[in-house]
Amino acid sequence: MSRIRRIAVAFAVVGVLGVATPAAALATSLITISGSTASYPLVELLANKYRKVEKNKVKFKIAQGGSQAGINDVTFGRVSIADVSRDPKSTDPKGLDFYPIAKYAVCVVTNDSNPISNLTAAQVLAIFTGKTRNWSEVPGAKASGTIDLISRTSSAGVLSSFETLLNGGKKVSTLAAQKTSEGLLKQAVEADQNSIGFLSNYNADSGGVNSVAYNGIGCTRANAASGQYAGIAHFYEVTNGAAKGAAASFISWIDKAKAAQSIIASEWVPLNE
Amino acid sequence: MSATAGTGLIAGRQPRRHGKRSSLRTWRWVDRLVFLGAWAAGLGLCLIAAGIVVYLAVRGIQYLKPSMLVSRPQAATSQAGSGGFLDPIEGTALLTAIGVVLALPLSIATAVWIVEYGRPSWLARVVESTIEIVAGTPDILIAVFGLALFQLHLMAPFSATGEGGGVVGRSFIAAGAMMSLIALPPIFTATRDGLQAVPRHMREAAFALGKTRIATIRRVLIPRVRANIATGVTLGVSRIIGDTAIVLLVLGGTLHIETQSSTPVLGLLRGTGSTLTSYVFDNSPAGEGEAPQKAYAAAFVLLILILLLNAVVNRIGKGNAHTITGAYV
Amino acid sequence: MIKRALQPWPDSRAERTLGAASLLVGVCVVGMLVFVAVQAWPMFQHQGLSWLGSGGNVDSQLGNLEHAGAHPSASGYYLRAWPLIYGTLLTTGIALALALPTALLSSIFIVEFAPAFLRRVMIPVIRLLASVPSVIYGLIGILVLVPFVGNDLITASEKTSVQNVVELTGAGLGVAALVLAVMITPIMVALITDALNTVPRAWREGAVALGLNPLRATLAVSVRAIRPAIVAAAVLATARALGEAVMLYMVAGSVGFAPKPVDGVTFFFEPLKTLASSIVESAEGLGAPALHAAAYAFALLLLFSAFTLSLAGYLVKLPLRKYEVRA
Repeated sequence: MSRIRRIAVAFAVVGVLGVATPAAALATSLITISGSTASYPLVELLANKYRKVEKNKVKFKIAQGGSQAGINDVTFGRVSIADVSRDPKSTDPKGLDFYPIAKYAVCVVTNDSNPISNLTAAQVLAIFTGKTRNWSEVPGAKASGTIDLISRTSSAGVLSSFETLLNGGKKVSTLAAQKTSEGLLKQAVEADQNSIGFLSNYNADSGGVNSVAYNGIGCTRANAASGQYAGIAHFYEVTNGAAKGAAASFISWIDKAKAAQSIIASEWVPLNE
Repeated sequence: MSATAGTGLIAGRQPRRHGKRSSLRTWRWVDRLVFLGAWAAGLGLCLIAAGIVVYLAVRGIQYLKPSMLVSRPQAATSQAGSGGFLDPIEGTALLTAIGVVLALPLSIATAVWIVEYGRPSWLARVVESTIEIVAGTPDILIAVFGLALFQLHLMAPFSATGEGGGVVGRSFIAAGAMMSLIALPPIFTATRDGLQAVPRHMREAAFALGKTRIATIRRVLIPRVRANIATGVTLGVSRIIGDTAIVLLVLGGTLHIETQSSTPVLGLLRGTGSTLTSYVFDNSPAGEGEAPQKAYAAAFVLLILILLLNAVVNRIGKGNAHTITGAYV
Repeated sequence: MIKRALQPWPDSRAERTLGAASLLVGVCVVGMLVFVAVQAWPMFQHQGLSWLGSGGNVDSQLGNLEHAGAHPSASGYYLRAWPLIYGTLLTTGIALALALPTALLSSIFIVEFAPAFLRRVMIPVIRLLASVPSVIYGLIGILVLVPFVGNDLITASEKTSVQNVVELTGAGLGVAALVLAVMITPIMVALITDALNTVPRAWREGAVALGLNPLRATLAVSVRAIRPAIVAAAVLATARALGEAVMLYMVAGSVGFAPKPVDGVTFFFEPLKTLASSIVESAEGLGAPALHAAAYAFALLLLFSAFTLSLAGYLVKLPLRKYEVRA
């Protein structure tokens, strides 16, 4: 008899605790983000700073998966914000709001043992569409043999930006190996002497690979800021409908706060530069 | 008659004391080739197993530091700073616990029902077939099933829900439920075989003493097949620990164990994390990883766990020692 | 009421409860099959069975599925997945061709020729190989075998010979089939060895008495007698090979290319993709409805082939029934 009473009391206590603690948890809000691997370093830094600014009242969960995965997640309501590193496409679902937060440059990269200094637009197009297949046909190349194209999976926003801005709107050849993230693409280019690929300027300029100038203009943050470099794309924060609640506060903080703008200016290009 | 005298008609090993093996010189050369082939195949398998263990041991000892087992992983650009894999180890332990806790009662109940009751018999055959189907289902299939199932709105309490109302569907409880599905066949098969091996006179003695069927099961049969159940559970645990596909799809892949809310147990169950297998995958060139060293270290720990579990099975499964499969397949 | 539950149960209630638990398990499994079929239905609805055929590059088609949006039209589901099916058949076929003779020879070795100490060693060895997780096989494959093949075995001329069609990186059919063969051999060895041990001693002795040497006696008598077990082992191993996803994702190259046997040696270096590894690849993108339906259609196809395999194994074993060993 008393054993049953004890069990019932135990259940009641757990039930009360179960109700009470979420009430305390309501004071902190959660922002879930998923999407681009290229903007992940930037968004991670911004989120950490914002959390400090808000004195830990905001929690973030940031996943990657590529720009398209982010768009799909935010369309179906699984996350609050999607990180996207390409411009909106006509195939994107209606009702998504794209908020630009920064500019970045798309760089062509080769292995360090193959330090090509410059490629013209025509050469880049020929290489990445698979017309030029051998390094012997590329003047200035130290590598010899077949060109190993390294590209991204179709989910990537950087791929889309690269095709639009640097590849004359043409799709990258299906011959290319498809890597799922910027990190893996960089690893692949570092490991293969005959490889060529494309990265956002943050990963291209941080060492380990050779960044190639496009039409004579180097792929650097400075050239992206001055507008001279051809491959300048945007990072967007995307919400389903207008941004609401904690997500809206975060996005407007990125837009207005000096701390946020200085984080962006460290490796990327703020919108108003 | 005399040809078979002394050798016996029982199945088993060939006795070495009697007779001489025919000399290889009398064989045709085709047979000699096959003989060599058999030796090569057998030794080759031994060498491959030794190679895997030795290679992982060398790399593991090279890269594994004891601190890694107790420190939390950090996201960092260089391998030196990325911490250990305590969270993946905790994730593995938690998933195994959930899987076994869900699978054990169901498997034993099903095995008992099929062996002891089993009416109507068509239903018993159907249930046995479904468990065989689960045993033969690839784990990627169970993983996609789990993901789709837990992304239904009905299952929202079992994982996180996004701001827009979409159910994330990835959590410990979701992955644990799928793990229980893959642990079910080994435990079921082992228990069923154990129960079938119990001689009839034990049950009849219990009935003669006036015990009901369920009491016989509870007090006589189950304690007797404890070793079989333990073997089955160990095999199931070994399957859970080694599974990667379910973890990759249904567990959410966060580096740290992240609880969904601050409720003590429910928050953890609804949260996401990683396990040793997903940690190895993520740190290999196929995942995010520029960290093959961490992958080797974690793989070494995983292999040691599997070796230990195998040793446990070999020890407690003494009754099955003469067969390799035992309750494996 | 709790007091009533804590007292010893009558048999009828126990039977009903245990039966309900068993039924629950059965219903869950059947529900799983139905559920997967329902998720895969949109692909069949919009593309019928033509998605099993070939045409175009399957990688870009899968990419288009991911971009098809929240409510794709019928053309948004366009897919021609034959290269994936072909890749699955190739890896499974070659792995089985490598593994079956090896397993048979190893089993004969364990039962007939191995000295006693080696036999005691091999039983734990086989058990160990059978329980190594596939991610460890994949790790060794991708960190040891793939670089070895890519750097030391593939020549520059082989690369240039196919450079307009596909890139050779070392991850491809050869490594995939080899590691898969190593993965499925232990299962077969275990089953065949146990079956060989159940053949009565006298049968083989009779053959030796008639003048056959030990090897021929084993082959003519024991192996012939356990043919149903060999079939069962092959079916089990094939089912395992068909469903292997993570290891193949790591070492097979992840390119939706159909390797051509006419290429000679290069055939074994060409990358490919299988149905199961495609499901792992699309794991991130399962939010897109079109890709979701495609992934579940692959899963349904795998299930269907596993069923067909079991059925085929059962049919093959039927005429062999009369040789079945009663031990």
